[in-house]
Amino acid sequence: MGEIKALQLFHGPNHPGMHGNFSVHIKVDGDIVVEAEANPGMLHRGFEKLMERRNWMQNIALILRVCVVEPDINEAAYSMAVETIEGMDVPERAQWIRVMILEMARIANHLMSLGGIGGPTGLYTGPNWALVDRDLILDIFEKITGARVYHMYIVPGGVRQDVTDEILKDLEKVLDDIEKRLPEYRELILEHPIIQKRTKNIAVLTRDQALSWGVTGIALRATGVDYDVRKYDPYLVYDKVEFDVPTVDFSDAYNRLWLKYQEIYQSIRIIRQVIEKMPSGKVREKLPGNALKWRVKKGDAYVKLESARGEFGYYMVSDGGTKPYRVFVRGASYPQGLLGIEKGLPGTRLEDVAIWLDTMGVCAPEIDR
Amino acid sequence: MKEQELIDLIEKHVKYEEGSIEVYAPRKLKFILKKDDLVDTLLFLKRNGFVQLSFITCVDWIKDNKFELVYGLVSWEHKLTVLVKTFIDRDNPKMISIMDIWPTAKYYEQEINEFFGVYFEGNPNMSKELILENWDSMPPLRKDFDPQSYSNEKFEIRIYDYKMEDKKKK
Repeated sequence: MGEIKALQLFHGPNHPGMHGNFSVHIKVDGDIVVEAEANPGMLHRGFEKLMERRNWMQNIALILRVCVVEPDINEAAYSMAVETIEGMDVPERAQWIRVMILEMARIANHLMSLGGIGGPTGLYTGPNWALVDRDLILDIFEKITGARVYHMYIVPGGVRQDVTDEILKDLEKVLDDIEKRLPEYRELILEHPIIQKRTKNIAVLTRDQALSWGVTGIALRATGVDYDVRKYDPYLVYDKVEFDVPTVDFSDAYNRLWLKYQEIYQSIRIIRQVIEKMPSGKVREKLPGNALKWRVKKGDAYVKLESARGEFGYYMVSDGGTKPYRVFVRGASYPQGLLGIEKGLPGTRLEDVAIWLDTMGVCAPEIDR
Repeated sequence: MKEQELIDLIEKHVKYEEGSIEVYAPRKLKFILKKDDLVDTLLFLKRNGFVQLSFITCVDWIKDNKFELVYGLVSWEHKLTVLVKTFIDRDNPKMISIMDIWPTAKYYEQEINEFFGVYFEGNPNMSKELILENWDSMPPLRKDFDPQSYSNEKFEIRIYDYKMEDKKKK
């Protein structure tokens, strides 16, 4: 018998299962992937260099563009890192509002990725439904901040403006609506024969793999480890609200979807508590002097948050000037997006590559920042 | 584990020549070490619960002619975050790769090599391109790299001779 050559294929940048301009070079032997290599760089915007050339406050308009689907986590991490370096206090009410905003962003993100599984599996009703419900959250964002996707709402010192009681009532209604719709998602997406056949026992990740690659977030929690920054290193007021961290013992594509579905319930629970417990008061600490000539004290800090995909952090250095000296963005999907692809994809079938990338939450803009 | 317990443990078990330890926020610590003591300390921390390497990054201190390497470690067990830092010479920047301790380090080191020009000994990806394809200038995140003059050199300067006054006349 002659030797069978491995065939090289390009998965992406344009592919229904790819998010963002990111490609994976794979070598296949028949249907099985034997070698895979991530090829980022098509979306690189040089944010880290650009931030060194902008004022501390100007950067607020820039950083949220690091991740498209969940921009608020960037604002929060940036603002909290600046506050840590400067030693600033944030008003109590602003901290509660930040938690509310971050959880709303988590629901919006999970809805998008829960429906987004329709891309690689061919269930195109899913995305349509999920985007409609995500829009309800975006409407509330618009009422609070004036913008739908990029809010620029969380700033060093607090949040930009207060939330009125009317908006909170609207938010409660939206949460009720989404909660009512969630069982329908279970029928439409999670119990659908296509999803059951295409995601169960596919794209399996073991606990040892996850821990040694440094994978965090849902992909890790699906292996039975309950590591969540909100519980293990509580920031803002996460230690004052009650919520569970859902875990399962077997990390395949289906269980990762299931966890996203469960986390939407937990986020709704958190937001309801925030609305109930939020104290009144001011929402923003005034900066000393002109915001555009603001000098942050000399120092450095690393701040980490739990994004919808895992540990997300900013490492920032200030040399006492009007601009950041160095900003480093730790994208949540960096480990699985580069090392995970190299080590985890070989052995998968060609048609499951998109499902692997989608459910592991590989987000190209976080690698190409 | 409390912050002070970890500091005591490090001072007791790791023989480092000079350096400083600081708690900069609740549950967050900073160590500054000499280059030669770094790998021993990282190994010690890994054995004592710091299973996760969150990131490696580099800061260019051009005035002191130094690069600062920052390793961010997380211990879920002790609920602590630690930044381990060291300074290396800027003229011939070399460091030992920690790929064998944390496999994730491979791509962080490759990225630092691309953007700062630090060479990590023992990392097989040092000559490969990750993000910058066909890059022909100095590593771009260094402080003496000027994006403006680079783009002026690389791309034709386009002048738009559109004036607001012309529009008003019409």
